[in-house]
Amino acid sequence: MAKDKEVSKYLVEYGEPVGIIAAQSVGEPGTQMILRSFHLAGIESTISTSGLPRIIELVDAKKKPSTPITYIYLDEKIGKNFDRATEVLKSINEVRMGSIAKRVLENFTKGKIKVVLDKQELESEGVTIKHVAGKIDKALNLDSVVEDNGIVISMHTRNLKEIRAATINLMKMLVSGVDGAGKGTIRRDDKTGEFYLVSAGSNIEGIMQVEGVDRTRTTTNDVFAIYRLFGIEAARNSLALELKKTLKEQKISVDERHLNLIADAMTASGTIKGVGRHGLSGEKKSVFARAAYEETLKHLIHAAAFGEVDSMRGVTENILVGKQIPIGTGAVRLAIKKEDMAKIKPQTSKKD
Amino acid sequence: MAKDIPKAYVYINGRVVGTVAEPLSLVNEIRSGRRKGMLSGEVNVSYNEKLNSVNINTDRGRIRKPYIILENGKPKLTPEIIEKLKSREINFNYLLRNGIVEYLDAEEEENMLIALSEKEITPKHTHLEVDISSIFGFTINTSPYPEHNSLARHAMLANFTKQAQGLYASNFNQRFDSRAYILFYPQKPVVTTAAYDTVKMTNHPSGQNFVVALSTYYGYNMADAIVLNRAAVDRGLGRSMFYKTYVDEERRYPGGQRDKFKVPPPTADGYMGEHVYSKLSEDGIIEPELEVQEGDALIGKVAPPRFLEENLGAGGLEEKMRDDTAVLKTGEKGVVDSVIFTESTGATKIVKVRIRSLRIPENGDKFASRHGQKGVVALIVPPEDMPFTAEGIVPDLLLNPHSIPTRLTFGHLLETLGGKAGAVNGEIVDGTAFAEKGSDRIESYGKVLEQHGFDRYGNEVLYDGMTGIPFRSQIFNGVVYYNRLYHMVSNKIQVRSRGKVQILTHQPTEGKARQGALRFGEMERDALIGYGASLLLKERLLDQSDKAVVLVCKDCGMLGYYDHIKKTMICPLTKGSNFVEVEISYAFKVLLDEIKSLHIMTSIKLNE
Repeated sequence: MAKDKEVSKYLVEYGEPVGIIAAQSVGEPGTQMILRSFHLAGIESTISTSGLPRIIELVDAKKKPSTPITYIYLDEKIGKNFDRATEVLKSINEVRMGSIAKRVLENFTKGKIKVVLDKQELESEGVTIKHVAGKIDKALNLDSVVEDNGIVISMHTRNLKEIRAATINLMKMLVSGVDGAGKGTIRRDDKTGEFYLVSAGSNIEGIMQVEGVDRTRTTTNDVFAIYRLFGIEAARNSLALELKKTLKEQKISVDERHLNLIADAMTASGTIKGVGRHGLSGEKKSVFARAAYEETLKHLIHAAAFGEVDSMRGVTENILVGKQIPIGTGAVRLAIKKEDMAKIKPQTSKKD
Repeated sequence: MAKDIPKAYVYINGRVVGTVAEPLSLVNEIRSGRRKGMLSGEVNVSYNEKLNSVNINTDRGRIRKPYIILENGKPKLTPEIIEKLKSREINFNYLLRNGIVEYLDAEEEENMLIALSEKEITPKHTHLEVDISSIFGFTINTSPYPEHNSLARHAMLANFTKQAQGLYASNFNQRFDSRAYILFYPQKPVVTTAAYDTVKMTNHPSGQNFVVALSTYYGYNMADAIVLNRAAVDRGLGRSMFYKTYVDEERRYPGGQRDKFKVPPPTADGYMGEHVYSKLSEDGIIEPELEVQEGDALIGKVAPPRFLEENLGAGGLEEKMRDDTAVLKTGEKGVVDSVIFTESTGATKIVKVRIRSLRIPENGDKFASRHGQKGVVALIVPPEDMPFTAEGIVPDLLLNPHSIPTRLTFGHLLETLGGKAGAVNGEIVDGTAFAEKGSDRIESYGKVLEQHGFDRYGNEVLYDGMTGIPFRSQIFNGVVYYNRLYHMVSNKIQVRSRGKVQILTHQPTEGKARQGALRFGEMERDALIGYGASLLLKERLLDQSDKAVVLVCKDCGMLGYYDHIKKTMICPLTKGSNFVEVEISYAFKVLLDEIKSLHIMTSIKLNE
């Protein structure tokens, strides 16, 4: 029970404006972020957005992060072995036809497309010409023949437009790897000596189906990808974690409960919502609070057309009309009516 | 040799005009032609070894600097030529025309090796600096001993020099500048520099030599505050005059109407009351040497009404006029210094009234030395309470010694010492950059001070003015040139508790000119919400701002009004009088009115 007492000392009191305090707690150190931003060195594809732009991205609930990154952890046995880890990487690495093709020759009179492949690229990606040819047959439903260094595709038509369209489709075709997984690199954890992969994509659903990937530890910075695969609770955790990580990178210390609150507020409805005009602020109940924020006319006209009622429960609308705000000292009300006060007799203590 | 080198490109003002096999001989030819006067002195030529290109620049906007040309390791500016210059036989242009001095731009400078002084000339050198101090710009060179100060302080000095009060023009009495500041007893600095004389700053100085002791004074000079001696202030130290000119014009308007300078009649629209115009003479303009206070009329003027229809209805002979008198602004007072009548280019009458008012240094006024050391007066001490030396010298200013080490302005200390030496010796001291080594300077000033019975490092025993007991440590003091900057409290002070409000919102006005209040902004609002102080927030945003009591109809929820003729409350919608008085912000009332003007009905439903 002593524990309970200790805990209750740190509980937030009734009427405490936690939202504003959270906003101030994040906003104040945030002003410093514009002035000095740390950047970490790394391979181009694995550098993630950091600092204020990343915070804005998270808080605005952008559907796609500007730099999606997936941290792929491997099964215990594979993780210790560099070669086996490389194999997994090769099976994940997203390889498109365009990147392994050295030259593309379109013969419009004969209705043929010849693709000369880059041998070095093929080797480094671990694909054979036959495999590529097979993919073309399967994915695009075309006839292809392997010819020394390249693949010749015979079209059934000589229509210029169709051949050109087929070429474009061909270049976009996935040769190997997981769609949307991006290019990855191998990294080594200095503490455990374990190898793991970092890839510049966020298709965790696809990645997790690859053999050798440890599903329990693999994660991404794409909050929406996590939401789609694991649901809202996981998304909330991911959101809060990403906020904390970004601030920690900038060496800014904010109490994590503020960030948890922001993540909670953004995910409370069951989907991820931004804090701006199209999210939390735009969905406030009060007409005045919405009109005071942005798009004043839109909200007033809507309120007039649908006969909305403002119940004056929030902060903004009460400041607007000049009432005491229902926060802090204004949050408490008299429980007894004035008339009833007279009926209550003052209690006299026995010791008196 | 020449065959190995590929042909160099030749650029004129950045454009390729051709190639040349031997770039250096081309460059040399152009240079010698320029020095002989065959080419304009504004042509600069340089050879870029890395790019193997010859760049000839003749366009405008290049920064160039004069250098003395060396020939066979000897400057072409010989003592004979200097004598001729001194006797005005020849001038600077002669030096340029005859290849003694030439201007180099940044690009050509790269080809040269420039000696800083005659002593260090070697056969390799091509040019000689006119003076070592010229490696600094003009502003830095107005500061003494700039080589001992930090660059950041020089940047500040450059700003303070512009803000210094002084004798900005010797005909200031004939001028009608909108604002002007004249220092009463400007002095030449004891420690001067070559640049000071070059630009004739000594003829119209902008500061005074203060006796400065580096001492604290009961915490009154903490954090860039300074303590002044009342006796010195009373004798005119830092005293200045502030001039301000009010201008008004008899404008003409389309339709033949025009303004008129005269004492406005009480019938004029916006008449401010007889007492306002009492100091105006018959022609409606104030007389010189009259004392004026805030709110006094300076230039009486009537103007035609702003809107035409006002005039149509009257129909009488007397034209309806609007009062457009220029009044002395709030917080200002002074004496009318001068009044002039003149005419604009459009042949309309113009009146200019110049007000003068005395500015004696007071708490909050800003001073700065020539080392980027600014300070604000925090206390003016009676002379009997100031520390004094054995000789009875009382410092004019007490500077906190803490302001020196962190700012890295050691030039300030050198000036203190040099100023003291110059003052006891009765001589002007030269503080030009690099003129002497710092240690040599300290040595020579020390000698002078010792000759006159002072400590060679400028330290002295000071006695506490209040107790007469000598301080335990000796205190460094000397003479420092100080500028009085034009940021003065009397021009900036403003107070308000209650006052004017805006017409539209009934909220307090903003800005000094409108006697405004300080804004309680959005972030301040957030702070109060965050603290949970809901009643304080309501007081700031409602009670102290735009509180309004309105009548809300219990039946329809719209705002009603009190009919003063019928002496009843009326709801415009139900025509009833079933009301509740409600306190709301006037801004909310305006919002309701504006929504109503959009044909949207708003209805306030009240509890209880």
